[in-house]
Amino acid sequence: MNTSRRIGAAVSGWLTEPVPRGRVAAFRTLVYLFVAADLLVFTPWIRDKASIPGELYQPLFVGRLLPLPTPTPPLVNLIFWALLLLALAAATGRAPRALGWAVFALYFEWMVIAMSYGKVDHDRFAFLVALAVLPTVGRARHGDRTESEAAGWALRVTQIAVVCTYFLAAWAKLRFGGLEWMTGSVLARAIIRRGTELADLIAQVPYLLIAAQFGIIAFELLSPLVFVVSPRWRQAVVGFFYSFHLVTIATITISFAPHLVAMTSFLPLERLRPVERLRRLVRRGVQRGDGDHRAGAHLHGQDAEPLPTEPPAAPSPAAP
Amino acid sequence: MDALPRRSRNIRVGLTLLAGAVLLAGTLWGQDDHFPFGPFRMYAGSNPPDDPAPDTRIEGVDATGAVVGLGEQSTGIRRAEIEGQQGRYEADPTLLRRVADAYAQRHPDAPPIVEVRIVIRWHGVTDGRPTGNAVDETVVRWQAAP
Repeated sequence: MNTSRRIGAAVSGWLTEPVPRGRVAAFRTLVYLFVAADLLVFTPWIRDKASIPGELYQPLFVGRLLPLPTPTPPLVNLIFWALLLLALAAATGRAPRALGWAVFALYFEWMVIAMSYGKVDHDRFAFLVALAVLPTVGRARHGDRTESEAAGWALRVTQIAVVCTYFLAAWAKLRFGGLEWMTGSVLARAIIRRGTELADLIAQVPYLLIAAQFGIIAFELLSPLVFVVSPRWRQAVVGFFYSFHLVTIATITISFAPHLVAMTSFLPLERLRPVERLRRLVRRGVQRGDGDHRAGAHLHGQDAEPLPTEPPAAPSPAAP
Repeated sequence: MDALPRRSRNIRVGLTLLAGAVLLAGTLWGQDDHFPFGPFRMYAGSNPPDDPAPDTRIEGVDATGAVVGLGEQSTGIRRAEIEGQQGRYEADPTLLRRVADAYAQRHPDAPPIVEVRIVIRWHGVTDGRPTGNAVDETVVRWQAAP
């Protein structure tokens, strides 16, 4: 009894390990800005579903359960514009709960539309988790160093979702493809269907694609180790995850963009402060222009945070 | 530090375990239909190292006799969506008319499409490497009544 209680406390402590509120503020802005970018740049084809005959709409289980309506041009356009405006508003950090839940609901419906015409994408589970948990954190100011357990939980479950995307993908390969997946021709197929010139070059090397298939399974099965290594190594492992996606973009043009955004939940984002930096640069420029050489004296005023000196990926003692 | 009240913490831990269990069940027994809790089956299929690789395209013939590509650019329907519903098209080829409709919707001034077909180009593969050889196979075709 005592042992199980101790395990329960350890699990719940790990799930809610506090992080600075400023980290969630930065993550929130990034996530909601990505929603806007996704609508406009990354998946503009979803909007095209407005002009596709309803007969080709084959709603997913959740779409039949709720039941969500068959997309029509007015419906698709309404969701597009509402989601775009609300996501931009949410990116400011204002009304985090109301705007957050609205963006989550609309984005979820947008995804059900996207995935209901015969193809389901698997690149955004962690992103959907991030959208679902961000509203629970409530207010969080940029640069706020107060540690918060609510913020910690939101980032932790997003991280878990990122790792699940890898680990359970290996599981799915073994379920659907079996052990033969590793010695099969799945990468050759992917390259034939959507390979770049770089991929065509790589495909010429005997057995390299098969070796890569073994490597992918190993990396996916080992991905949960990111949670047990030291903070310094954790940043390196996350860097490796990013480099894996860099290679998949360069060879088979699969971007996994929403997943990459969700993965920033591993990084000490609160150190970035791009707006603060810009403001400082502008202020410095203005003061130089005025001939004020004692500009530095003003820079450490009340709302000016000390400038982060290390790059964002540097290890942090406060890293989750 | 902002600590969570015990109740809020318990709700969060419970939700995490519940979502994790559903996701695990989806991976073990679910299908794509169970999005977002379905299995992460991107490129999870397995093919013997010498199996030819399918490269699917959908094309039409317009009233002038010209062949028109009916890919994502011209219809808004992604290739994988054509492949995902290929069984439906094969069972009822008249459904291909909806692809022509989607094209007409986006190209109101273009000559009408009188034939739509799904063509698979089978690329040869040996030892997991493309051989450079290919053959085309038309898997389903719809023609407008003359």
